[in-house]
Amino acid sequence: MEGFAEYMHYGTIAVTVAANALAVGIGQGITSHGALEAMDLQPSARDDITRASILGMALMETAALMGTFIAFLLLLQTNSTAQNSTLAGFAELGIVFAVGLSGFVLGIVSAFPARAACLAIARQPFFSRQIVRFMLIALSLLQTPIIFGLIVALFIRGQAGSIETVRDSLRLIASGVCIGIGSVGPAIGLAFFTKSACDGMGVNRSSYRQLFSFALISQAIIETPILFALIVSVSLLFVVPAFGAENLVDGIMFLAAGLCTGIGTIGPGISSGKTATEACKQIASNPETYSALSRVSMFAQGLIETAAIYAVLISFLLLFLR
Amino acid sequence: MSGIGIEETEQWLIGPFFSSNHPFFSINKHTVIYTWITIGIIVAILLLGRYLLSKKDSIARFVTMYAVRLFVGMVDQTLSIFSFNHFVFITSLFCFVFACNLVSIIPWMEEPTIDLNTTLALGIISFLYTQVAAIGEGGLWKYIKGFFSPFFLMMPINVVGKLATVVSISFRLFGNIFGGSIISSIYFTAIRGNFTFEFIGLASGFNLLLAAFFVIFEGFLQAFVFAMLSLTYLSLATQSEGD
Repeated sequence: MEGFAEYMHYGTIAVTVAANALAVGIGQGITSHGALEAMDLQPSARDDITRASILGMALMETAALMGTFIAFLLLLQTNSTAQNSTLAGFAELGIVFAVGLSGFVLGIVSAFPARAACLAIARQPFFSRQIVRFMLIALSLLQTPIIFGLIVALFIRGQAGSIETVRDSLRLIASGVCIGIGSVGPAIGLAFFTKSACDGMGVNRSSYRQLFSFALISQAIIETPILFALIVSVSLLFVVPAFGAENLVDGIMFLAAGLCTGIGTIGPGISSGKTATEACKQIASNPETYSALSRVSMFAQGLIETAAIYAVLISFLLLFLR
Repeated sequence: MSGIGIEETEQWLIGPFFSSNHPFFSINKHTVIYTWITIGIIVAILLLGRYLLSKKDSIARFVTMYAVRLFVGMVDQTLSIFSFNHFVFITSLFCFVFACNLVSIIPWMEEPTIDLNTTLALGIISFLYTQVAAIGEGGLWKYIKGFFSPFFLMMPINVVGKLATVVSISFRLFGNIFGGSIISSIYFTAIRGNFTFEFIGLASGFNLLLAAFFVIFEGFLQAFVFAMLSLTYLSLATQSEGD
């Protein structure tokens, strides 16, 4: 079975890089298309639109860079002796989920805010500096899921060499699955919200101050489910008794705990993003209602997140009350 | 953290004084030292700022006044009623977190915020301040009634939701700063010792770009988000009823 471990190892590297590069390619295509549309609407602002789209595409490449980074680290590790076990090969499936899946979603999804920013510049050509600044800050906050995914992937890579049981292999896969699937929903919600904030700046530029602070706070609240997924992942890696005796039931419980939080954060992430999107549209047209609207929106988001907290509680019960 | 090549940080054990060996009584040496150095830097900057404020028509005075006015506007907008106590609390929270994130540009130092203990302490401070302010605003009875707010079955949801703010606010700061520091440390250990790589990194400005993005930009952003979220929770807690 020596050859099988090699297949898994190289397959992990290939899938991670390919998923991230594919998604970033699609996303950059969408952004460029949006930039061309915007130039068609407002040809005199083509320099500003070009600058905005290039900056947006540069930030979107974070996902591809992270994929390449982890692939290089894995390739450098190939010849070490500890790598040649089938269990380690399986454990590296966690890396595919942690970096590959979150990077895939994020690469496609972060194209929409950049596209919306280009169109907003076409509508408000004399306001392009502020729109570009907002887009840069919002897009770099949007890259949080892939950074968390990278942290978990590095931990998985560090532990994969020394595992000896199926239980630990499943533990590492569960950790990657948790952060990978867990970042899908919040990433989609974040992207839709950021897109509507960029749209709002194009609609009404006097709402810039209100939209700016609302966007920062709301993005932080929408990405809370990812933090819960990160907590479960890290406790799967470090807090539960590692390297225990062979026990398949334990391993399946770890996988269940990871899937529970991972799938449980999809709904709260998307719906929290939708709530903030609607509030954002209202703030863009009526900036003076900012404080009432933002309060209602954040209260609702707090209630929505409770669903994710229940998923985390169930995961912890699975992990610690066996 | 043995997994990724970061050595276990050295610790001070104060457990033996209480005849106990529980890991709760071990203190992370680096975090404490770097936090005190950060506090020293902040105090030095504040004393300098006081001295500069006494000079008329200087650039430093203008910058200081501008920064203070920015924060006053932010607090005013979010709370809708300006309160000097809340303004002082939020501004000092921001300054401390920002200084903690920024301190790693000094050689041989690392951020105190890459230790979960620091961020958890900051989150608990913000949470307790918010609860005390909420009690002071409407009285204890109204505060307890708030837990049963729409109807009594919502009590567990309200309690869990309140406690989750501590976890989310502290893990957000910790995760972002820790991720940035891991990425830069792996990059810098990879190029260390190889003359060609170091020269390319220095000459092309990539090293500078990495530090500027992960330390200055991300540090500012996370400190700002931390302060804004504390402010928002404060405004939610003190004015949930009425208007």
